Amino acid sequence: MEAQQLTTLTGVIDKKMNRQLKQYMDICARCAICKDACHQYVGTGDFTYLPARRAELIRQIYKKYFDKAGRFVPALYEARDPDENLLDELYESTYACTGCRRCMYYCPFSIDTAWILSVAKAILIAAGRGNEMLGQLADAAIFKGDNAAMFEGVMLSGFEDISEEVRAITGNPEHQVHVNKEGADILYVALAGAHSIRPAAVIFEEAGESWTISMFEAANYGYFYGDAEKARLITKRYIDEAKRLGVKEIVVPECGHAYRVAEIFYEAWSGEPMPFKVSHILEKVDEYIKAGRITVDRDKIDGTVTYHDPCQIGRNGGVFDAPRDIVRAVTSRFVELTPNREQQWCCGGGGGIVAMEEFKDVRLKSGGKKVEQLKASGASVLACPCENCRLQIEELNEVHGLGLEVWQVIDLVVAAMPFKATPEADAATM
Amino acid sequence: MSDDVKVDLELDLKGLLCPLPMVKVSQNITNVPVGGVIRAVATDPGAMADIPAWAQSTGNEVLSAEKEGAEFVFLVKRLK
Repeated sequence: MEAQQLTTLTGVIDKKMNRQLKQYMDICARCAICKDACHQYVGTGDFTYLPARRAELIRQIYKKYFDKAGRFVPALYEARDPDENLLDELYESTYACTGCRRCMYYCPFSIDTAWILSVAKAILIAAGRGNEMLGQLADAAIFKGDNAAMFEGVMLSGFEDISEEVRAITGNPEHQVHVNKEGADILYVALAGAHSIRPAAVIFEEAGESWTISMFEAANYGYFYGDAEKARLITKRYIDEAKRLGVKEIVVPECGHAYRVAEIFYEAWSGEPMPFKVSHILEKVDEYIKAGRITVDRDKIDGTVTYHDPCQIGRNGGVFDAPRDIVRAVTSRFVELTPNREQQWCCGGGGGIVAMEEFKDVRLKSGGKKVEQLKASGASVLACPCENCRLQIEELNEVHGLGLEVWQVIDLVVAAMPFKATPEADAATM
Repeated sequence: MSDDVKVDLELDLKGLLCPLPMVKVSQNITNVPVGGVIRAVATDPGAMADIPAWAQSTGNEVLSAEKEGAEFVFLVKRLK
């Protein structure tokens, strides 16, 4: 490795390593409790995906350049240069990680491997080895934000199509997707697909909510890629939009990382407080049901229903009860997966891995625990408020012949709401 | 326009939710030669912004993006 590149990479480590991360470098006891907590290691048995091993690669570079003992006697302290072999290994172990932080939950020292891997991603990007697909998705999102006028026409046309679908579902000719509505209470920042807008619009309109939709989306591939500046830019677009429209609250859709980005990471990336209250859409829907602002009929949903806690919403976001209360409101046949809540197994689809074809085999193998849970539950319907989780579980469903129906929670809610519309229109919600 | 263009690869992206249509186009762009064209058919309206944005930011070209009933049809040319 050339001296200049080495200086760049060690500079990245020096800049990223705060006191907490340095402590992580020192305290891992190699107890390997994390091996039984990681769905990828359990599913593959491959050392590359052992959480402690993932972190160890960073620790080895750190020891070589920032630890006296490692610097002078590298062989004794397992200190290594960030050579091509190490970077190859680092790429595989880092971008395969779904960032579920189940290893941290079980670690006796609460070592946050996902945080350590944010350093690994910064190193890989500095070495020109960032994941190409995630980088492209992040750049495309930034391009859309920088050239919003270019896409305004197709987006407005799409919103109008969705408005017609909403009116067909609810039977109310006044209902619509509100766009650029100044002074609305809520800015709903959806995903790019109509599926995250249509049911939300039905619920907001039926609840009589004062809302408007964002021209920008909540998904943030800059975060998965590991580039904090790109991630900040993608988030800042809708923060600026919220300021311009004068809303009081930002509501994010059924997407795991989008909630965590808005609620937790934006402040760290931008160095400024998040100027708005951030809610997950299921927190709003739960409020509407409990306040009687929307009505749901219990047991319109056929079958036994279970709920998967997406890691970024549950274990890492702290939202456990609102989704469960919603599901219980629409069915009396609710069963939990075991384990659940903070101990829930990752499905294997997080961290942007569903977009990275090179990790498909690892991804499907790492879903083994989720398949076991789903089979044991006896459920025929799965409610899951995260896009990446649904993509993964739908694929596991197909591969393992589980016979599950995989639903967004808000789609279950809309299916349980009584409308004036025709049965044909009801079918449009499915 | 699609009648005048030689298509090197057809992609059926119907039923895929965004950003997967864009991901599939990106994954397949190297399966056509430089100057070659992918014809992609998606059903998620988000693709109407996603695929052109991906093309612009990666230096490729969307020759056309048209709504045909409930489908969105793209002709994407590999430029590099």
